[in-house]
Amino acid sequence: MSKVLTVVGREYLERVRSKSFLIGTVLGPAMMAMFIVLPILVADRGGEDQRTIAVIDQSVGVRGALSDVLVEDGRKSLSLEPVAVGPGGLDAAIAEMKTMIVDGTVHSGMVVPADFVETGQVSFYNKSVSSLVVRDEVLKPALNRVLREERFARAQVPDSLFNYLSAHTEWSSIAVTAEGGEEKQDESVSIAMAFVLIMIIYIMVLIYGNHTLTAVIEEKSSRMVEIMLASISPGEMMLGKVLGIGLAGLTQFAIWASAFLLVSQRGVSVGGLTLDVGFLTPVILVSFVMFFLLGFFLYSTIYAGVGAMCNTVQDSQQFHMPLMMGLIIPMMLLSMVLRSPNAPLATALSLVPLFSPVLMFMRVCVETPPLWQIGLSWVLMGVSIWLAARAAGKLFRVGILMNGQAPTWATLGRALRS
Amino acid sequence: MSETSLALPPIGAPLLSLKNVCKSYGEKRAVHNLSLEIPRGSIYGFLGPNGAGKTTTIRSIMNIILPDSGEITLAGRPLDLSMRDRIGYLPEERGLYRKMKCVDQLVYLARLKSVPRAVARTRAREWLSRLGLSEYGDRKVDVLSKGMQQKIQFAATFISEPDLVILDEVFSGLDPLNIELLRDMIVEQKQRGTTIVFSTHMLAEAERICDAICLIEGGEVILDGSLPKVRADFPLRSVRAAWEGELQPPSDLPGVIHSELHEGSWRLTLHEGADPLALLPRLQAVGVLTLYSANRPSLNEIFLAAVARRRQEVAA
Repeated sequence: MSKVLTVVGREYLERVRSKSFLIGTVLGPAMMAMFIVLPILVADRGGEDQRTIAVIDQSVGVRGALSDVLVEDGRKSLSLEPVAVGPGGLDAAIAEMKTMIVDGTVHSGMVVPADFVETGQVSFYNKSVSSLVVRDEVLKPALNRVLREERFARAQVPDSLFNYLSAHTEWSSIAVTAEGGEEKQDESVSIAMAFVLIMIIYIMVLIYGNHTLTAVIEEKSSRMVEIMLASISPGEMMLGKVLGIGLAGLTQFAIWASAFLLVSQRGVSVGGLTLDVGFLTPVILVSFVMFFLLGFFLYSTIYAGVGAMCNTVQDSQQFHMPLMMGLIIPMMLLSMVLRSPNAPLATALSLVPLFSPVLMFMRVCVETPPLWQIGLSWVLMGVSIWLAARAAGKLFRVGILMNGQAPTWATLGRALRS
Repeated sequence: MSETSLALPPIGAPLLSLKNVCKSYGEKRAVHNLSLEIPRGSIYGFLGPNGAGKTTTIRSIMNIILPDSGEITLAGRPLDLSMRDRIGYLPEERGLYRKMKCVDQLVYLARLKSVPRAVARTRAREWLSRLGLSEYGDRKVDVLSKGMQQKIQFAATFISEPDLVILDEVFSGLDPLNIELLRDMIVEQKQRGTTIVFSTHMLAEAERICDAICLIEGGEVILDGSLPKVRADFPLRSVRAAWEGELQPPSDLPGVIHSELHEGSWRLTLHEGADPLALLPRLQAVGVLTLYSANRPSLNEIFLAAVARRRQEVAA
């Protein structure tokens, strides 16, 4: 056992002392922030084009009312350009508008007929699919409001009645805690937080899994493997490497976590997204640590096994995709699990050890599953780690003798069966 | 960490024994029924051409591969994991962690042989100064020349002060100066009581430093024992001769079983019991003799003769 610790020490120190660790620790949060925050910021702000919409208005004052509503909704990027109906009549005006759309002076155009308030009819001219988004998301609700208000006005409904009739329902969500107490809830925050935590598991597993793969291949490329095996069993060596690299990963994560907690006593808010530390209930916190550790070591051990069979990093590339699949598939299944976290399929899939770190953890975040299921997934992952470690040790012994030749799935299978 | 200690047999008694070790890779028989005993305190030449099964045997000893059958004992005890701490191994395929400081590297490898940290540190510095690499202790392996790296590897093998050391093709890729240096150090380690297994395909090299040898071919031992005993078993003589004007020896010389031109002189191999002096008049009759010497057979010649004898036995 003390030899394992010696290996752990070397692997840990070699990583923690390296420049790439320092750079990674500093740049990691920046990258994370970029992945999570940038899309939100982009969607919120800079994403909108300045668009002009040509309007041929044959009614009385609809264009003006629409323009007011748009301003009120904060659609500053959208402006209306009146096209007058001249001596040529409506057809000439429409022809002129079409020219403007084609040559790009306006984004799209609309024709509001004289009897708009009676019929609600309006024509929309466009040349690209993206303008349909503008039509459905911006123009339609705004024009609906114009129509409604105009009709109420014509029916001479007093403002007080109008406000009373056009009221909306207002909802407040209260989460019931395990003790039967109440808690204010913001489900968008919960889900965002869950995603952030899953992304952390996902990224750490990928990065440090790869580290393990490279470290095992390094034993061979530096031709240390025989010298090592003359002193320590392959299983112990694998264990030492996985633990040492794992500890380096955890150190990095601990630095990030404490920095995050220092900077934000309660949480941070970026754009429309709030990360609230208060979301971390004891169950979620314990689950996060467990899934992080177990997922981490499961994937690291599997990566180590692959590395054991390979002489160069290039050799290992054919095995990357299937390994990545273990992480990509649950990502694709996330929305299903989110919708019905306790359905039999979601339950079954979340118990698959390779999927558990993502799927079971998501279930814990959205609707705590029975505790025995969480426990079972931990046990299954633990057993898988043990099996993977044994297999990795075996593969290592076989891998030494494969000088030069690149491994295939067939040799991998043979080695495991022997 | 505590160092495992072994009750060692007296000098000259078997330290490492292999009994009927077999190992096949699929259809290919790499080692077959191999048995040998390595006496304590000797430099034991483990010899044979490339592909004879030397590395497979050594890897079996080091538990890097598992033999199909057979028994391996060290000081009379079946070899287990903890006993490998008492064996040093310098494989043919060897390297160092490039990004590690030399001194850390030595300490690390010593620690993996269960040497306590403080002891390992002291010994690492001692070895570095003995090898003339003191100023490189805190530099990374990267900056060392290949020869320097070989020296570090050599130090790493001996730093745990093992009872038995296995050196596989240790001189391959070294320049003559470094070979000389390492050869001296191997002899020095032997004088300290370390038993050394010296595996090589270069028989001439083995002849210079080994006390006992074992010749293997096709995964089987064809000859083993102390060097004097091996020579006594093969009382071959060889005669070297050369003439002015590069003349050739006659083909019907009595007792000569093989003749070849080697580095400018003729090497004539005599069969057992033939008298080299009886040849002299015949050789002088050829022309002006510029070189005549009668030699004991080289390991190379013994090896060839042993292989020939073995094949006759198998055929009979």
